Amino acid sequence: MFRWKATAATIAIAALALTGCAGGGDGGSGAGDSGRADRLTLTAIVAPTSYDIGAGAEYGNRSPFFQAVFDTLLQKDSKGEIEPWLATEWVYNDDNTVLTLTLRDDVEFTDGTKLDADAVVASLERFRDGTSPQAATFAGKEFAAVDATTVTITQAAPDPSLVNLLSIAPGLIQAPSTFDDPDSATQPVGSGPYVLDTASTVTGTTYVYTANPDYWNADAVKYDNLTINVIDDPTATLNALKAGEANGAKIVNNDTIPEIEASGWTIESNELDFQGLLLFDRDGTMAPELADVNVRKAINMAFDREALLKALQAGYGTVTEQVFPATSVGYDESLDSTYEYDPEGAKKLLADAGYPDGFTLNMMSTPAFQTTFDLVAQQLADIGITVNYTDPGTGNFITDMLAPKYPATWMALEQNPDWQLINFMIAPGATFNPFHSEDPQVDEYISTIQTGTQDEAEQATKDLNAWIVDNAWFAPFFRVQGTYATDANTNLEFWPTNAYPSIFDFSPKN
Amino acid sequence: MLSFILRRVLSGVILIAVISFLAFVLLYASGGDIARRILGENATAETVAKKAEQLGLNRPLLVQYWDWVTSALTGSLGRSWFTGELVSVSVSNRVAVSLSIVIGTTLVSAIVAVVLGVLAARRGGGVDGTVQVVSLIGFAIPGFLIALVLVLVFAINLGWFKATGYIPLSTSVSGWLSSVTLPIIALSLGAIAAVSQQVRGSVIDAMSRDYVRTLRSRGLGSNSVVYRHVLRNAGGPALAVLAVQFIGLLGGAVIVEQVFAIPGMGQLTVRATTLGDIPVVMGLVMAYAIIVLIVNLLIDLAQAALNPKVRLS
Repeated sequence: MFRWKATAATIAIAALALTGCAGGGDGGSGAGDSGRADRLTLTAIVAPTSYDIGAGAEYGNRSPFFQAVFDTLLQKDSKGEIEPWLATEWVYNDDNTVLTLTLRDDVEFTDGTKLDADAVVASLERFRDGTSPQAATFAGKEFAAVDATTVTITQAAPDPSLVNLLSIAPGLIQAPSTFDDPDSATQPVGSGPYVLDTASTVTGTTYVYTANPDYWNADAVKYDNLTINVIDDPTATLNALKAGEANGAKIVNNDTIPEIEASGWTIESNELDFQGLLLFDRDGTMAPELADVNVRKAINMAFDREALLKALQAGYGTVTEQVFPATSVGYDESLDSTYEYDPEGAKKLLADAGYPDGFTLNMMSTPAFQTTFDLVAQQLADIGITVNYTDPGTGNFITDMLAPKYPATWMALEQNPDWQLINFMIAPGATFNPFHSEDPQVDEYISTIQTGTQDEAEQATKDLNAWIVDNAWFAPFFRVQGTYATDANTNLEFWPTNAYPSIFDFSPKN
Repeated sequence: MLSFILRRVLSGVILIAVISFLAFVLLYASGGDIARRILGENATAETVAKKAEQLGLNRPLLVQYWDWVTSALTGSLGRSWFTGELVSVSVSNRVAVSLSIVIGTTLVSAIVAVVLGVLAARRGGGVDGTVQVVSLIGFAIPGFLIALVLVLVFAINLGWFKATGYIPLSTSVSGWLSSVTLPIIALSLGAIAAVSQQVRGSVIDAMSRDYVRTLRSRGLGSNSVVYRHVLRNAGGPALAVLAVQFIGLLGGAVIVEQVFAIPGMGQLTVRATTLGDIPVVMGLVMAYAIIVLIVNLLIDLAQAALNPKVRLS
């Protein structure tokens, strides 16, 4: 005979037992002996690659993992302004080719070794000579320890991005004592605010940290423990939020924002990426039509940017026609209405350029962004341009783009600080200038930005931006809203300069 | 039996060697710039070339394969090209997670499916019809949809279970139960549908055999006939279906793993394959192959134990 009552009682006891451990909503509440909150639980959309700064140091969405265990030479505050960190002072020589940094003298790595000028030089050299994504930003730079607390960085020509670089991945300092240990990829040793608990960490999915008891800037640490769960599935992220299993989460799908807000979460945002067409072949090497500036302008006029923003990002973002971000000194809001949506006007420009019947443009597509590619093709078809898409296959999208195998492409790109942006997508040798487009006027602006006074550089940046828009080197659609959600127990000031918030900008509400 | 096991082990070793070579060739044939995938769009062409050189990607395929084989034979499966973690650690972590869920799913589905299958076969009529309909629903509703509903009701609304993540058994028994219960239920429904139909059919078939009539004529009770004799004959096909389910779930539970953000083998397989992390994919292929061989061997032995008519050959 089936014992219904006994079974029901067993189920009830089991449910009660499970309820006690479900949820895991640490909520960031509950102060420990340290006076800090107990635990901050975050979700990230990507795991760090190697913790070895010579192999995997990276900011963006991977920044919290590195920020937790390493210090940078300089730091950015919640407004994105550079502030002292391991380096208390920094000063250039007269021609901006030597940067002298003064280091704190009270910092140790978590293995007990001293963080001094020799250690900093060794770490910077490891980054320069390694294969981290931004390693090339240190190419040609020489590092020297003048004394225990003074480091110089010497470069052949001024690098206006150097100070910024020292506040992100290139400025991370790893303990030289771990350089020869292959396990440093998963067992990092830095001087950062937290220490990775390798026993509780599952590489790729769950990273557990405990506060560094000897951290030199203890006041900056608001939690005794930090957990970062890697959840790349938007549905799972949403479930984690609703179940109270996180205090903060990076949101990938902006169309889930209303649902998240309805659950009592607070949304913080910034804008760091733009989406649009990169009209690479400005000399017409592969697509002769693109050599004509009127064709490039016509392409810009083909897009209903407001409609694209609504369709692709649920309206979260800002339409733009500039590759420079709104935080740039070169940004000019009026330039965002240079090319109004005007298919008929675009057709006329094409006809004037000698293409009354349009032409065929070869571009790449990838299934992950099929809706975008369909809309782009549709809008270009409206002005007579037929898009011939090719799917380059898994993992070849960037490679084929930069080979270059196509004259133009859709892409989402970072809007870095000015000098990084220029060397990322505008300068003749820039990664995203694969046809090496060059113009004497552009070269002059770039030279002034690099070697001119601050006022001259700022004016040249404005002029360069206006020139790029006027000559339609790109056809940007919009800046995408980067979204971060926090629960009711957590305060966050989302810095404007990185895809993931600084771990120092989280704090408990109570 | 010993010679049977030894022969199976030997053929398994040969099979693993063949599988490893095919997997290696297929991974490279799928193309893609692995160094670029690791470094992303921010890296310059020079840095990408340096990374490719560092990983040995410029060497001939056969040289790379031979290096992997010789390294594997010494017990080293290398390190992940992305995380730098030892492949043996990555894979063993995920195998433990997946096995706990798949074994749980197999046990639950086996028990429930046998009960339902026998019930449907013995009672017939309305009970049989109900089991058939429930099975049909189990087949028709995809596991991830069931998972989503379970999360919504039992994790988010009731707060009885964890919505995401995995807690190892060694850390907390109740935490482990909280993290695996919903995934096991989500995965079990489809398996129950498949196995219960197999059990039902096999039991009905066995019940019509002469030996059952003989047993009954000798005065054996109905329960004794079914559970001591009929099920032993009907269990073979059901075991085979369970084995297929078990193996399929190891890698095929990836969508449910995604919904629950569980770090299982399926999730790692998809991620490593997408990224081109060949050392990790090769480690996973080896793990899958070894598990499949062991499961098949155990099923053969169980079949023989259940039914003496089955010969191990």
